This record gives sequence, C-alpha cells and structure tokens, in this order.
Amino acid sequence: MTAAIVIAALVVGATVLGLIWRTLQGRVRAATGSAADFAEPGALVTLVQFSTEVCAPCAATHTVLERVAGERSGVSHVDVDITNRPDVASRFNVLQTPTTLFVDGRGDVLARIGGAPRAATVATELDRILVTT
Amino acid sequence: MSTTAQNATTPKATTGIDPRGPRFGAGITGVLLLVAIGLNLSGPYLSAQWLASTILFAAIVAVFAWGAFAGIRRHPYGLLYRRLVAPRLAKPTELEDPTPPTFAQGVGLVITGVALVLHLLQVPNALVVGASLAFVAAFLNSVFAYCLGCQLYLLLARAGILGRKPAATA
Repeated sequence: MTAAIVIAALVVGATVLGLIWRTLQGRVRAATGSAADFAEPGALVTLVQFSTEVCAPCAATHTVLERVAGERSGVSHVDVDITNRPDVASRFNVLQTPTTLFVDGRGDVLARIGGAPRAATVATELDRILVTT
Repeated sequence: MSTTAQNATTPKATTGIDPRGPRFGAGITGVLLLVAIGLNLSGPYLSAQWLASTILFAAIVAVFAWGAFAGIRRHPYGLLYRRLVAPRLAKPTELEDPTPPTFAQGVGLVITGVALVLHLLQVPNALVVGASLAFVAAFLNSVFAYCLGCQLYLLLARAGILGRKPAATA
C-alpha cells in the first residue's frame, strides 16, 4: 500500500515539475543591463546566445537563432561559449543554457529568453524591437 | 574585441548521437527505479523483497557506471535502442553531442551510488530516497527532454568547480 502511494506520488510529482518547467522554457522576458562588449558592431539587434559545451539544446538553438537572424537585415547572432567563463555567467545571471539576450545597437539588453526558444517566439520579439527602434 | 572568436571553442568535432536514444534509456531506468522502490517498501530488512530491490538497485548503479565510464555510445540501453527502436522510427532531425548524456550518466551514478552504499549500511530509506531522486531526473529526461546535466554543469562551472580557469580577457 505504502509502495503504491509512493510510486503514484513520484509519477504525479515529476509530471507536475515537468509541466512547470515546460511552461517557463523559451519565454521572452524584459531585461536590462549592458552587453555592449558582446554586441556585433553595426547591428541593430544582436542575439547573444550563451552556451556551454555540455548542453544538448544549445546546438538546436544555435541553428534556430542563426536562421531567424539571417532572415532579417541588421540582425546578428553571436554564440558565446561560457563553459570556462563563470564571470560572464555571473554578470548576466545565467542559470541555464541556452540563454539568449536581445541586445540593441547601443549595447543595451532589451529582453532575454531562458531555455530553447521556438523560432516564431524569437521572430516576433525581433520584429517588435525592430519596429520600435 | 571579437566575440566570434569564442565560437571556435564550441566542440563540433565529435559526431552526434540520436537524442532519442538516451531518452529511451532513461525511460527504462525510470521504470526499473520504480520497481526497486516498490520492492523495497514491500518487505522488511533481509526479506526476499529487500534482497530483490537491493540486487536490482545495484544493477541500476552498475548500468549508470557503464554509461558514465564507457560513454553513452556503448550504453546497453543505447544498443537496444539502435537495434530495436531506431529502425522503426524516422531518421533523427538533428544529432546530439554525446557529452551531455554521458555527463548525466555520471550524475545518476553519484546519486544512486551514494544511496546504495547508505542502503547497505542500513541507513533507513536510503534506497527509496536515492532511487526517487534518480527517478525524477530520469522521468524528466525521458518524458520532457529536460537536460539535468546541462543545468548542473553550468552551475558547477559558474561556481568555478568545473571547467578551466576563466580567460583573462575575452
């Protein structure tokens, strides 16, 4: 009886954790700060992606961001490996990889996405930024 | 300064694996962990159920060790996946670096290994607690493709425990 309850609680608990994690993934959040040293000179918007060597979704995110950036003029994509850069992780409070910053031409951080984003999410945010700047 | 130079440090040399393989393996591991927990909770110390749960849990630890030291490519469940499952599925749309799932096997080995030792030292509920932690990780990996290894690696790197010393200049 105890065994059945423990097993059921584990499956339900893990499912709830997974669903919470999934809703938080790939969402755009407003952000502030400066990332001028990572912004591509001359670009209207730079997508600054932070990756680590040991990160399964980073490569997929790289492909997505590269494509979305390539479809727009004035948008660049920079992939920064922070495996050996804990200083960068601390500075931008990177708690997971990939984390993507939207950085404008002045080097100001406008928004960020934690986790692997969908192409449509990035495109929508980029177009919103490009219209307002 | 150039940030694009840092792209060169991203490893691309190794050929990837089908990312669904480790998730399939995590599914098997998750089910086996639940069986071990169930058996452990259904019998007292040194009963048949206790013995069965101990042997099964030790086997799970051994498989984690295999995956961590031999690498995910030589993992027995990965072999099973390639032989039985992969031929029935469409080709993977993208390949994955084998380092993350191998790192995750190491994480599983540490958690279950410590729990096994404590269990054998008769620490109460050591097996159930250790197997439960490993189950949650295996379940999230299998069902939600949540990469615990990534998170842990980054936190360790951020604390300066893993990875080389940060470069003086970027």
